[in-house]
Order: sequence, then C-alpha cells, then structure tokens
Amino acid sequence: MANLPAQAAADTLGARLGRVALYAALGLFALFYLMPMLVMIATSLKDVEEIRSGSLLAWPQSVSLDAWRYAWSEACIGVECTGLAPYFRNSVLMAVPAVLLSSLFGALNGYALTKWRFRGANVVFGMLLFGSFIPFQVVLLPMSQTLGFLGLASSVPGLVLVHTVYGIAFTTLFFRNYYVTLPDDLVKAATIDGAGFFTIFWRIILPLSPSIIVVTVIWQFTQIWNDFLFGASFTSGGAQPVTVALNNLVNTTTGVKLYNVDMAAAIIAALPTLLVYIVAGRYFVRGLTAGSVKG
Amino acid sequence: MPADAVASARAADTGDAGAGDAGARGWLQRHLSKLVVAPSFAAALIFFYGFILWTVIISLTGSRMLPSYEIVGFENYVNIWRLSRWETAVENLFLFGVLFMGLSMALGCLLAVLLDQRIRAEGALRTIYLYPMAISYIVTGTAWKWLLDPGIGLEKAMHDLGWTGFAFNWINDPDMAIYTIVLAAVWQASGFVMAMVLAALRGVDDEIIKAAWLDGASLANIYRRIIIPTIRPVFLSAFVILMHLAIKTFDLVMALTAAGPGTATSVPATFMYDMAFQRDRLDFAATSAVMMLATVAAIIVPYLYSEIRSGKRG
Amino acid sequence: MAHLEVRNVRKSFGDTHVLKGISLDLAGGEFLVLLGPSGCGKSTLLNMIAGLDSITDGEIVIDGRVVNAVHPKNRDIAMVFQSYALYPNMTVKKNIAFGLEMRGVPADERARLIAKTSALLQIDHLLDRKPAQLSGGQRQRVAMGRALVRDPKIFLFDEPLSNLDAKLRVDMRTEIKKLHGRLGTTIVYVTHDQIEAMTLATQIAVMRGGVIEQLAPPQDVYETPANMYVGGFVGSPPMNFVPATVVDQGNGLGVRFRCAANGGDGDVVLPLADPAAAAQWKDREVVFGLRPEALTDYNEAEASIREHAHAFDCRVDVLEPTGADTLTYVELGGSTAIARVNPRRTTRPGDTMRLMADMSHASLFDPSTERRI
Repeated sequence: MANLPAQAAADTLGARLGRVALYAALGLFALFYLMPMLVMIATSLKDVEEIRSGSLLAWPQSVSLDAWRYAWSEACIGVECTGLAPYFRNSVLMAVPAVLLSSLFGALNGYALTKWRFRGANVVFGMLLFGSFIPFQVVLLPMSQTLGFLGLASSVPGLVLVHTVYGIAFTTLFFRNYYVTLPDDLVKAATIDGAGFFTIFWRIILPLSPSIIVVTVIWQFTQIWNDFLFGASFTSGGAQPVTVALNNLVNTTTGVKLYNVDMAAAIIAALPTLLVYIVAGRYFVRGLTAGSVKG
Repeated sequence: MPADAVASARAADTGDAGAGDAGARGWLQRHLSKLVVAPSFAAALIFFYGFILWTVIISLTGSRMLPSYEIVGFENYVNIWRLSRWETAVENLFLFGVLFMGLSMALGCLLAVLLDQRIRAEGALRTIYLYPMAISYIVTGTAWKWLLDPGIGLEKAMHDLGWTGFAFNWINDPDMAIYTIVLAAVWQASGFVMAMVLAALRGVDDEIIKAAWLDGASLANIYRRIIIPTIRPVFLSAFVILMHLAIKTFDLVMALTAAGPGTATSVPATFMYDMAFQRDRLDFAATSAVMMLATVAAIIVPYLYSEIRSGKRG
Repeated sequence: MAHLEVRNVRKSFGDTHVLKGISLDLAGGEFLVLLGPSGCGKSTLLNMIAGLDSITDGEIVIDGRVVNAVHPKNRDIAMVFQSYALYPNMTVKKNIAFGLEMRGVPADERARLIAKTSALLQIDHLLDRKPAQLSGGQRQRVAMGRALVRDPKIFLFDEPLSNLDAKLRVDMRTEIKKLHGRLGTTIVYVTHDQIEAMTLATQIAVMRGGVIEQLAPPQDVYETPANMYVGGFVGSPPMNFVPATVVDQGNGLGVRFRCAANGGDGDVVLPLADPAAAAQWKDREVVFGLRPEALTDYNEAEASIREHAHAFDCRVDVLEPTGADTLTYVELGGSTAIARVNPRRTTRPGDTMRLMADMSHASLFDPSTERRI
C-alpha cells in the first residue's frame, strides 16, 4: 500500500484530520507498549520510600543506581544472598555453547539435507521439523530422568545439552529453508573442481550464509536466554539460569518488598536479548517470520 | 529445462549424490551426508520421539514420585477429569486461548494496517510494537504483576491522580485473574502478528491495488476485498503459531499469578509442572503432557501437511 | 584429445526410465552436441558423463578406462553450467583458481595459468571483481575460463548460452567454435537449440524420450534425417511432411498427392530421384519429406540445370516475408507445407503459383513407423 496513487492523500481537511487521528492512534499504541518498560526503568531508579509515596508514573526525583547494584550482587534468591550475578553467569555459560552447537548442527543438517539429498531426506527433515512444535512438557519427565543418569542433573552442562537438542529442530529448519534457495549447480561445479563435502561447506556454502547465521544465532539466543521451563524443571540452587533466579527473587516473600530491586533485576535479565533486538532487530523479525511461515 | 531439473531432483531423492570412487574413501564420500545428519536424527529419535513414547508409557502407569512401569491402562485419562484443578486448567486454556488469539490477531492486524499508511517514523514504531517479543515472559510477568497490583500499580496511580473510584484489582480476583494473563500475553505477542501481517501486506502486488484504485474502490474496500483475501495464508500461519504459544503458555502464568489466586489461573502447562515437580504425581503429569501434545499435533500436523503440499505444488 | 565411449547406458528412477540404453563413440577432438527438447534425458546423460549422476546400467569409458565409479574430480573433465554456477563469494580470479587449488597446483603455477586463460578469454580486467558485478556475457566467459584453465580431457557444456540475449548468444557461439578449433579438446555440449547444434557440432545426437534418434554429422542429420522426428526437430522452418502415394508413371516411380490449384483440386505427381529405393513401396502410402528450400518458386533457368527439379501449380494460403525469402504456405496432400520463395516472385494469398520441387533432396518415410525409407 506504500504506492497508492497521489490522490489517495488528497489535501482536504478531512484527509488531514484523518492523518492526525492516525498518528494519535499510533502514538497511543506506542505508549501502551512502552509504558511497562518505562515504568520499570523509572521504578528501578527510585528508592523504596519514593515508590511508596510518589506516583507510579512519575520520573524519579533523585536517580539512584542502588537498586541495580543490590539486584546484581546482594539480593537474596532463596537462601543465597548473592544477587543475580552468578545466575546471569549461568545463563551466559548455558546460552553461548548451546547457541553455537545448535547453530552448527543446524547448518550442517540444512546443507546435507538440501545439497546432498539421500533417500529419506524428506522424512528426516519432517521428523526434525515436528520437533520444533512439540510442547516441551511432554519431554520433561524423561529428560529429567535422563539428565540424572548422565550425571548432569541440576547443572549448566545439562541445560546446554537440553537446549542444543531441542534447538536443532529450529536451526535445521532455518538453514534448510535458506540453503534450498542456493543453486545446486554451485555444489556440482565445486565437485567437478575437486572439492569434497566439507570443503564445499566451508569454502562455498558458509561464506554465502552470514545473514541466515545471524538470524539463527539471534533466534536461538533469544529462545535459550529467555527459557524458563527447562531451567525451572532441571535445575535448582546455584545452577539456575537468570530467568528462574529472577522469578525466585520476585516471589521471595520474606522481608520488605523491594520493588525497585525487582524491577532492576527484571531489566538486567531482559537486557541481553533487548540489546540484541535493538542492534539487530531486522534479523530478529526475519527469524520470527522464518520460524513461523513455511515448513 | 524443468523436466531435466525434475529428473535430477529425483536423482537426488533416490540416494544419488553422484558417483564416487570405489573403496573405503568412496564409501565415506557417498555416505558423508547421512553421517552428518545421523547425530541429529538419532537425537531426534531419542529426545523427541523416544521421550514422547516414554511419557505416554508413564501416563499409562500409576507412577507417583518416581516412575513405575506397571501399566494400569487408560484410567489416568479418565481420572484426571475428576480433578477440579485440571478442569479449571482446561477451561482457562480455552478461555485464554480464544481471547489471546483473537485479541492478538485483531490488534496485530490493526497495527499493521495503520503502519501501512505511509507513516513517518514507521521503523521506530515497529521497533516499539515488537520489542516485547524479545524479552522473557518472566520479565513480562514481573512487570505486569507489579503494574496490576492494586496497592502499588495502576490503581494506586489513578487514585493518586484523584480518580479514587478507579478499581482494577483483577489480579487478586479469582474470576478475573485469567484476564490479566490475556492482557500481558497480548501485550507481548501482538507485535509479532503485526510484523507478520505487515510483511505480507508489503508483499501484495502494487499493480493489483492500483487497478482496484482505478476501478474506484475505496481504501476500506481495497483492504476488505483485495488485500486481506490475498494475504490469507499469513493469517493461518499466525493463527497456528499463536495457538501453539497459547498451549505452551507457562512462564507467563508462573511469573504473573503463579497459577493463583489459589488455582484460579491454572493452565495445563502449570498443572503438568505442578504434578511433576511439586505433588509427586508423575502419572497425572504425563497424562496432561500427552493430552497437550495431542492437541498441538491435531493443529500442527494438518497445517504442516498442507504447507508442504502447497510448497510442492509451487 | 580424449576418446569418449558410452556403452548402453541406462538411468531409471524406479519405474521411470530416463535413459533407455544410450550408446555413442566419440573420437578425440570431436564436438558432440546432444540435441533435444526438455526432458529428453540429455542433461542427465551429461551429468552422468561428469559423474554427478550415478549410472543405473551400462558403462562410460574415457580413454579406455571405465569411469563409472570414478569421482568427478578424477575424471579430468570440466563443465560449464547453464546458470554458470560461479561462486558468488569469490572474485573472478579465485573462481578460476579454485579447481587448481583443490588439485594442489602451486600458487605461482596457478597465477601463470590464470593469466594465460584470462588473456585468451579477454577477462584480464575483471579478475578482481565478484560475479555479481559482471554482465551476463562476462559471467559466461568466466565460467568458460574456470573450465579452460584446468586443460581437461573433455569439456562438458550444459546449455551454456541459453541465459544470454540473442546477439550475445551468436557472438559466444562463434567464440566457442574458435576455441574448439584452437584447443582441439573433445567437447560434449547440451542444447535444445538446433541452430546452435548445426553451427557448432561435428557430431549431433538428436535425443527424444531417453533414446538417441540419430547420431551423425550435422549435414547428414539435416539432409537425411533418420525419421520424421529428426526432420521436424532440425531445421527452421522444419521439413515439410506430405502424405502421398508411390505410383508408377511408366518411366519410373513418383509420389502422388492432392493439391488445390487454378480454382480446382488436382493430383500432382513428382518423379523420385532414386526410384530403386522406393521399389517396395509401389502403390503404398508414404510420407514425402521436403525441406522448404527444396520447394521454391519456379525458375526456368534453374529448372533446366537441376536434373531432378519438377514444377507444379499450387494455391497460396499465407505469405510470411522474412527478408531474404518469403515463406509461402501451401496445402499439399492435406497438410500444410512451406516453400521458400524469392520475395520478388511472390503472389497474393488465394492465387495459384508455379512451384518447383528439387526431388534430389526428397526423403520418404514409412507412415506407420515414421522411419526413413
């Protein structure tokens, strides 16, 4: 609709009023989406007294980063009063290897399934694809047993395993749908030139993949960082990821409720994915649509 | 040369990745592709399908705190319906699902259409509408829990502004608490619908719209009669994704209401978690999980089937 | 200068038989064109020679060595693809060097070979560009350079000119022909364009439905097509096919068919140049094939010097001027035929015109098998 003929925006009073209403509506919606985040930021910068006496919607009178410092290194999560820092570290140690591993497997699978098709390749892809739609509740019980057998119960490596395995369905889908658009002749030409499976992957296919790699890494990072179900089901105490720790912190009922600390902690937990979104939003949107449209 | 292309595509399908040298190296080269996929496929067999089977088996036993493997048949699938908590969970899921999907679709489409009117600062607005999708449901839950807390959040803010009659205590009201989850979930996911619909709108052929314009159709008519029917597939996709999100909804409920007050905002996902990790009823946990899977499969399998079939046609 | 042999090669996917027993024997230095419509199996055959498709049955032999199980890279072949298949992430130089690098050719030798090849193809100034920055014709040259630089035993071309515009296609055609003349390498070339096939080939294999209908030098394919399919596929406009009867005129055999002329409908009998070959077909129905250039306007001077030229009258239906000739449509024996007429001697549609058939170029086909008699 961006290219409607010029008379679409005929310069009448009615049309102008329409434009004003349009921008007003868009502005109000923007406020609806921004309001929780703005209130969270404002609250995290206030002290407890100001929260209790002042207005929710007011900007802090004196900006203080105390709540952030407290949330990061002192707040009590369960019985441990270490702040979010160690849990944040857990999330990094969980997300980075799981993102890299699942993306690597996805790239190799996508390449093999499109450029070196074998009998049954479509069945393999279909079975992997269905995995991206499984409600994870259905694997929780066996997974927690299995992690126990493997000696990975309540550990960060255990979470890396879980996220890698269940991430492969998505990463394979992403890479497969991208590689299917690369011409097969490239692989044929390289084969005649004398390159083998991995040489072609490394020298020809990967150099053509930066955009899909960014999309996949962002998608996987967002999913894994934001996960709560696996973290809550398979870890306890010191091995928990930041989302679980945040939930525990907020729901800790002992003592005075420090709303500014809750809000600071929530923003800290959201910050990495939010940052990725702001820096590379274009790729984030592509991931969302790539993950949903087209099997 | 379409037919030749078909032939070579079929060649690929029948296990024909080209001729290779004889001997061990040749064997390796011919089968490398399968070997590379094998670990993922094995993982899928074990961690997806094996685990599903395992859960199905547990659902047929009388497992309590630890899995036992004495099959008791389908009685869990009958008995679970005697639990008022499960009934609440299913009712909530239905109510939540319908409202969440309907409102997200409506709001997402509205935003997409509004943004499609040659808007200045469209990029910034799009970023604002979509950012909730990037953050964790736990964060969303934490934020809204606080905003909706009558003693400290919006209600108090309105009272402070002098509107003392303002009451907004849904979160503490067992009958209304489920709607707060709808509110937060719509806040989070409607931008996603907006992004999908907007992308589809931008994909509509300009010439069709120009032709309709020349035919004298009004803007509303162009949307209603031309554009929306053209982008119907994207509605289906968005619908399937939202339904899938709705059935899996867990984090948000845990963070916002912890399934409360009482058990008023239980959904199947929290029911399953509670049975598995708090109440030592693995049998009911497994039973509820299997029913969730069955519901998702009933939606997804026909969808994937039609997608793949239409993909082949195109 | 490699000798290529294809021995009864078959390709099947389950019940679908794409190639049904292909055999050919190509001496070193020949330029073989595989000619046929989409789906005739020509690209599959080329891929099998390259080693990109497996062989269901039969053998492919290069210089006396069966290569069925030899990896493409060890067959010493090079291929130019329809899509060019240039590596988009590499510069032209790296594209050309890639095959050499994979074979462990040292860097200084690579540089020398690239310089030589790029000079030959006049792409030296493009070496540092990426494929996306090149025009269609330039990409085509780079694709050829990538094949040439390795100096392979056999070149394989898969419709290399079909993505170029008409003028460039003609230029590149000439250039490929020159290259073949200079290098003398064995070439197998796939196309559906019969003019490309005629101009380039030393041998043409006309294919249909997974079999070779005729394998012969271009002029033979043109003049003595093995069957009606080949006669109709090669040549533009295609060969005229006239349902006719072989009759004895007393002094030899002729073909008789009906033709409208001078407001009536009459029989025309044209004496055959080689009656002995048709002896068995006396009084039987045949299909009489005549190239449009053998069916011309009547010209007394020419008729007198051509022994087998015979004149007859026929009503003209449609005229299509092409500049050099006017294609004149007439109805012979109930089917449409085209004559190449001198533009200065045409008439108007509906009028009767005197035509001349050069029977030394006539072909006869069996109407049931469509084979040449």
